[in-house]
Amino acid sequence: MTDVAHVEPVHEEHESTGVPTLKLGMWIFLSSEFLFFGALISNYLLYSNRAGFEGLYPAEIYDIPFTSVSSFVLLMSSLTMVLAHNALSRGDQHGTRTWLFATAALGAVFLGGQVFEFTEFIVNYGMKLTSNPAASAFYVLTGFHGIHVAIGVFLLLSLWGISHRRGGLSEKSGLNVEMVGLYWHFVDIIWIVIFTVVYLISLPPA
Amino acid sequence: MSAEHQHPTPSQYWKIAGILAVITAIEVALFYIDRELELGALNAWMLIALSAMKFVMVIGWFMHLRYEKGLVSRFFAAGFGLAIGVYAIVLAALGVIVIRGG
Repeated sequence: MTDVAHVEPVHEEHESTGVPTLKLGMWIFLSSEFLFFGALISNYLLYSNRAGFEGLYPAEIYDIPFTSVSSFVLLMSSLTMVLAHNALSRGDQHGTRTWLFATAALGAVFLGGQVFEFTEFIVNYGMKLTSNPAASAFYVLTGFHGIHVAIGVFLLLSLWGISHRRGGLSEKSGLNVEMVGLYWHFVDIIWIVIFTVVYLISLPPA
Repeated sequence: MSAEHQHPTPSQYWKIAGILAVITAIEVALFYIDRELELGALNAWMLIALSAMKFVMVIGWFMHLRYEKGLVSRFFAAGFGLAIGVYAIVLAALGVIVIRGG
């Protein structure tokens, strides 16, 4: 049953810019994150195919089918996130909770996949963080992305918990759903880049 | 009329997600095709183009950037453009060949 109790119309507070300050701040923050991840991706590109390191290079042991499924899961979590936001804008609190939880669950599945991948690389292949600069660059890049996903899952579950406890999300929390959504989609687009540049294009030294 | 009313419907979101899934499948297929045919730089550029399509679709439709005011787009584009520019210069200066083959 659709729970429409505690629904409040969302009146965004518009500043002189015509955009809510919180939203503009989030967009600027995300914009700055490009520089953060750009540094890590550049670092990976710098070392990923540089010859002469001891040990395995990440590109030699990638499990592309597995990572493709993980990528698909994260991509679909963007769909569930936008459906949560859409449900809230229609006053459908039950739908909002369902899609928020689905998004967090898909994020958790992605994180589980990353833990599995790291475990495989370390235990089965012996490629550790300190094995060589290429391995370090790989773990630091994908690890920081994973931390971003974990923060997103925490934020999503927080919103889900608040909604569950209060029977719905308030006007202020509604804007928070949009902010968490922007963050979540950003994490997704960073993975779109990582999946292509790091996994599909990257080659070990010839 | 607020921008909220122009946002896609749930069914449109599902269609967009379907397109994103298909593009991902094509990317993975290209990866394996390249292993057989060794397309080199052509493969890399096709993968980058497909990735860029996904990137733009998520930002435009899921993040609703295409419905936001120009100020938001400019801030976002500035950060992205700055990152691309700075790291392109750094990688070029360090002699890194980003896209191999060809």
